[in-house]
Amino acid sequence: MANAGLLNEKSLPVSTLLICILLSIFLIFSSENEKIQSFRVYTTDKFSFLYQPFNWIDNQSFLMKRVEVLASENLKLNLENQILSSNELENKRLREFLDFKAKRDYNFIGSDVISKGTNSNLNAFLINQGSNSGVKKNDPVLSSKGVVGKIIAVSDDHSSVQLISDGNFRLSVKIVPSESEGIMRWRSNQICEIFEVKKTAKVNIGDIVLTSNLSSYFPPDLPVGKVISIHDKSDSFNKIVRLELYADLSTINQLFIIVDTDGE
Amino acid sequence: MRLFIQYFCLAVVFQLIFSELLTINGFQPNIMLLFVILSQMSQSNTSKAVIIGFLVGLVCDLVLFTGTYLGLSSLVFSICAFIASRIRFNFVFQTFDLYWITTLLVGIVIYCLFRYDFLFFSNFFLFLKSVISISLYSVFVSFILVKLFSLKRVILSA
Repeated sequence: MANAGLLNEKSLPVSTLLICILLSIFLIFSSENEKIQSFRVYTTDKFSFLYQPFNWIDNQSFLMKRVEVLASENLKLNLENQILSSNELENKRLREFLDFKAKRDYNFIGSDVISKGTNSNLNAFLINQGSNSGVKKNDPVLSSKGVVGKIIAVSDDHSSVQLISDGNFRLSVKIVPSESEGIMRWRSNQICEIFEVKKTAKVNIGDIVLTSNLSSYFPPDLPVGKVISIHDKSDSFNKIVRLELYADLSTINQLFIIVDTDGE
Repeated sequence: MRLFIQYFCLAVVFQLIFSELLTINGFQPNIMLLFVILSQMSQSNTSKAVIIGFLVGLVCDLVLFTGTYLGLSSLVFSICAFIASRIRFNFVFQTFDLYWITTLLVGIVIYCLFRYDFLFFSNFFLFLKSVISISLYSVFVSFILVKLFSLKRVILSA
């Protein structure tokens, strides 16, 4: 009896550890569950006030630099805009001539990044727009430079954004001008890789990568990045194309969500 | 208990400072993990230490925004709390720094195995690079915090 008591006392910490490990693993594998995700966003939503002061400091410290960058970008865009305005008129006239359908306009909702996560790498952001603003699960998220990720969980006033840098994120993309299509996933820092690109596809360094027409959630032709290297695999009919993202994920503070892309 | 809550709040503040303001190349130190390891070193009841580790991890996953996985912090914190509580007190006194650094590294490796699982199988070199970057940054920051707040003295006198 005494032996059993001793054994129990000895094995209690190990048993407790095993129970905690099993519970944790159960939670990890239930992370994709919609109810659990909603509960997480709800709790984070309620405690989002914790991030506000740090977010404010972050915004203030980069404000002057950002104003400078925005001013130069604004000037560049103004010049581009003048050229584009004349091109638009010509484009419209030619489309009418060819009886093409008009392209859809996207509805953007601006939002601030509330938290970049307290884990050892960046894979998700918390933003201050939720279902009250019309944000839905799987809506595409962009920075001013290009695609950043997609919405994975929504509460009333906040949403969780899965970033391109998340290991599980995949995006259907095309490389222009060759129009070769492939599946993109994150590699490291600002670098992503495109798989399933046919070996015969004519891809060059500097080519532009856009979202393809095949994605269920992302509208086509959103900017993603530019090609920096091409790797041929001797044992495959495909090649791997590496690209550098336009959006710098480590310095993002403002994001845009494309809502209502399916015309609902 | 009061001391535990005080340092918990301090750890949360430091974690938020580092995650919101001092992220380097996407990497950030895990201050909450350091808190769990150091706070459970003086805990003689290992079961209690494991449960505290699990609960702190759960709070981190739910309250502090920790990405897409729920339960990962609980898993890592329970294991590290178990290791932290198991060691003999004399040993801790003699090799305090070596001990918490080793436990911290164990925690970071488990974290990375889940976070970078795809890299572990597809590009082991890149996986190793990520683990080393996070480990170096975490140990560097933790070492400064331990010295700054004289945590060795606080823990050993607890």
